[in-house]
Amino acid sequence: MTEINNESQFRAALKGMSLANQREVGASFVEQVAYLADDERIGFAIRVASNKDAAEDELNAAHKAAKAAAIDCYTRCGSDADWAAQAGYFVARAASAIVTPEKDVGRDGPAWTAAANSRLARTCSIIESNPEAESQEAGKQYRILEDYLKKRV
Amino acid sequence: MSKATLERGLNALREQIDTPIALFFSSCTHCGMCATACLFYTETENPAYTPINKVEPLRRLWEQEYTLVGRIKKALGMSKPITDAELEEWKEYAYNACSLCGRCTMVCPVGNDITYMIRKMREGMAASGHTPEGLVGASTRAVKIGSPMGVKLPALQAQARHVEKDTGIEIPFDVEGAEYMLLMSSMEIMNYPEYLEAVSKIFNAAGKSWTISSEAFEATNSGIQIGSSDIARELVSRVVNAAEKLKVKTVISPECGHAYTAIRWEGPNLIGRPFPFHVKHILEVLDEFREQGLLKTEGFEDARMTFHDPCQLVRRGGVVQQPRNLLNMVATDFVEMKDHGIMNWCCGAGGGVSANEDAEELKMKAFNRKKHQLEELNVDTLVTACANCRIQIEEGLEENEIDMPVVGLTEMLAEHLVEDKKTGVSDND
Repeated sequence: MTEINNESQFRAALKGMSLANQREVGASFVEQVAYLADDERIGFAIRVASNKDAAEDELNAAHKAAKAAAIDCYTRCGSDADWAAQAGYFVARAASAIVTPEKDVGRDGPAWTAAANSRLARTCSIIESNPEAESQEAGKQYRILEDYLKKRV
Repeated sequence: MSKATLERGLNALREQIDTPIALFFSSCTHCGMCATACLFYTETENPAYTPINKVEPLRRLWEQEYTLVGRIKKALGMSKPITDAELEEWKEYAYNACSLCGRCTMVCPVGNDITYMIRKMREGMAASGHTPEGLVGASTRAVKIGSPMGVKLPALQAQARHVEKDTGIEIPFDVEGAEYMLLMSSMEIMNYPEYLEAVSKIFNAAGKSWTISSEAFEATNSGIQIGSSDIARELVSRVVNAAEKLKVKTVISPECGHAYTAIRWEGPNLIGRPFPFHVKHILEVLDEFREQGLLKTEGFEDARMTFHDPCQLVRRGGVVQQPRNLLNMVATDFVEMKDHGIMNWCCGAGGGVSANEDAEELKMKAFNRKKHQLEELNVDTLVTACANCRIQIEEGLEENEIDMPVVGLTEMLAEHLVEDKKTGVSDND
């Protein structure tokens, strides 16, 4: 049984996964924070990433939609910071990561990129109310990954 | 606006009429070449957006009060006084339709620095209250909170903790005697925290000491954009005080165009003394690391890519070759736009345009120039080194339904960094 208790184990486990599996588990990470964005384009990306048989066209369409969602909710230069709204931006980036076309996938891979952006989304959601609080998102992601790996064994 | 605010604005404009301004107005041949260099004119063909026209009230004031002919005409009632309504009209020309990109200055056949003139014009506009709301808000927050976007230290610390957890590398705050002090733009803190992650990885690999000041971490300077030297001076002073307190050797300006102009070029003049430290843009520092063998990368990007030159960094700042040296470390298919380097075309959102909601439609029209440049090249990826350019380009590409990743150069280099097996990621959870 694979136990995930720290970042090294988490990243190593993600790195060893196929692209399709990374998309699938990444979708579960995004699902945890999706409500912070309240945007149907996020749900679309999650659905496509969760479907291992998704066609390339579907992936491209979902990626385009998620990217557009991110651009729609970034904070403009010089405008007053709204961290709650900014959480939506990082959710959209996380969603975009899990449906990124294979040719554009970076060294970190879609699952890790989604995990990192989901954590940023969670951090944004608590910055105003309690900036000192430690987000528990990483721990949740460890459990999600453990469960995912268990099901596959 | 009241008569008093108009008078205050006119006095502010009078104060701006120094020797260079008088010489520039005397030299102008009204040839109109600056129009063809300005993307706000080329993309709209609105003659009011001709760069030299953006300072017309300042020119009239100079003529009426500082030239013999102008004084005679004024005495005879033959010249038109500058009014509040006129300054209000010029708000559109001086702010919405100008990114202070400096391209007009490059083509002026008599060498007039028209960008400098518009910067001066904005001083009078700000003093008379004819400034866009967005820039007023940003400037107020910059003075009161320390960030034009209201980003406070706890928010930066939260983002830093996030980076620390992801990388296992400590983000050092307030380390006295560090070699480098890193400034950041609020845009990077809010929208692109990967910049901080990239810097921490690169500096860790290079073995260089660096720090962030908890008292002055913000690089951007709304005073420069709105046209208030008082605000600009105050914001520069905070950085200088922090750098002196921490006794750093070099202050690093981040991937933000006008922040570099503010601290590097206008900074010492604003505070009236030389800095006891160097100011360098992050790309200058990274290129030095490259020269010293401290920046080691592996692998190459397959994508065909180009570089968008941020105006304040490249044309106004002189950092031309460094981004290209760095790109060549990781790119095998790098192509230049037809107009690049010091003759690049602006993204359309610099100089406070992006912070100005009144300019929303116009900045997207201006973006068409960049769009045409990209269409000519048929590239897969665009790389840049300014968070503001990056957002504008991402937004413009999205509006024009062009699917192309826009990447920050520092981040791209960090992606290719030879991994230090000793550091890796944190095991502390």
